[in-house]
Amino acid sequence: MSAELATAPGHDAGHDDHGHVSAENNFLGLPNIKLAMWAFLGSECMFFGSLIGTYFFYHGKSLGGPLPTQVFSLTITSISTFLLLMSSMTMALAVDATRLRKLSQARAYILATAVLGATFVGFQIYEFSQFVSEGLKLQTSLFGSTFFVMTGFHGAHVTVGVIWLTMLSMLISNGKLNKDKASVTVEVAGLYWHFVDIVWIVIFTFVYLLEFIK
Amino acid sequence: MSQAHDAASGVTHSHKKHYLRIGAILTVVTAIELALPLLKNYPQIWEPARPLWAPALIILSIAKFGAVVGEFMHLRGDRKIYYFLFISPLMLATTVFVLLSLLSVVMFRPFGAGYAVTAEARLAGYVEPSTGPAFEQPLDDAKFAAAFDGAKGKQFADGKKVFGEKCQACHGAQGGGIANLGLNLTDDCYKYGGSFKELYLTIGKGQAGGKMPAWAGQLKGEEIRQVMYYIKSLKGTNVAGGQPCVGDKVP
Repeated sequence: MSAELATAPGHDAGHDDHGHVSAENNFLGLPNIKLAMWAFLGSECMFFGSLIGTYFFYHGKSLGGPLPTQVFSLTITSISTFLLLMSSMTMALAVDATRLRKLSQARAYILATAVLGATFVGFQIYEFSQFVSEGLKLQTSLFGSTFFVMTGFHGAHVTVGVIWLTMLSMLISNGKLNKDKASVTVEVAGLYWHFVDIVWIVIFTFVYLLEFIK
Repeated sequence: MSQAHDAASGVTHSHKKHYLRIGAILTVVTAIELALPLLKNYPQIWEPARPLWAPALIILSIAKFGAVVGEFMHLRGDRKIYYFLFISPLMLATTVFVLLSLLSVVMFRPFGAGYAVTAEARLAGYVEPSTGPAFEQPLDDAKFAAAFDGAKGKQFADGKKVFGEKCQACHGAQGGGIANLGLNLTDDCYKYGGSFKELYLTIGKGQAGGKMPAWAGQLKGEEIRQVMYYIKSLKGTNVAGGQPCVGDKVP
């Protein structure tokens, strides 16, 4: 496996984030931080896979209400879903700008991403408080427990991402971000952010939309 | 393909247009997903294709997933080891998800065919449970009272058995209640009404947003009546260490 990977396919030649062994790059010529992020995201797949799986294991088994269709608001959730999708796009644009060494432009995109993410979290806080006022709490039913744990962990991930992006933009403002390493630094933050987005794509479809299709 | 290749090879031109295009596609797909539930209002379209809607939604979401991972994260065209590191646990997670969903169907079968369906229908607006005559209509307080007076002995023993199985976890072995779980059943206070009929309905339909579960699907009408009598017999016994009075005092 490693031999095949080490003899890199031709199109990788000249890639600006690898090519030699150094403190940042490992023996495959790949940036360690990026490799680590993909491995971490792999483990995150298992993490969220278990949470979503547990939600469906107990789906429809609650002994009491409220039911999902009684509390879900498609309007609210679709707005926040759209915001998160758009934040993924601005993040991709930020990575693109960093690659072209347009750091101030990248900073604007990163900030836009953080603002969209923070808005998403705001929507989630509103949604949770609505659910609680309608009688759905963590301890109310199997639906309440599995739903809040699953979406709560997702919201926590978004929050961590917002903090990360805010710090990145501050680093750029202060000129503390090494221009040579900026490409990988921002790309890795982007990978995390996109992952948080795809988790929501799955939750939105399976947990919310399918409920209204039945 | 060429787009992703360029991204990985550090060519110094912008992919802004490409990302904007992907963003637009994602927006359109999301709009289609949201429009699907609205089709319910058009039964002539909705009904014939009914089995197709859920798979259609799943396929659309997989497409979105693929677009974000492949293009935004440009896993497509990047080094294979990233692909390996991410896709293998993703496959494992998907397998766990599918197996859990299937296991859920198999495991809950002993609770009766259509357990989930009856549980949901029961909550959506009370309906007669399919298992056993749970609610004999009309519920008549006078009849209940007459039966209660003549039923000391066996009825209460049966009710006590049901209480031990279903109720004591929250209401305590003696019925004195447990803080934040179940109310005291041994005082003279009833939060949801203390008549035979009201007690019967509280047990059957549940209360407090399901904190007190609706037992109608799991207990037969006879069992609900027995446990209702047993609970009624606890009134005024005021066991030591019981929870404070909640609700109206019933003489």
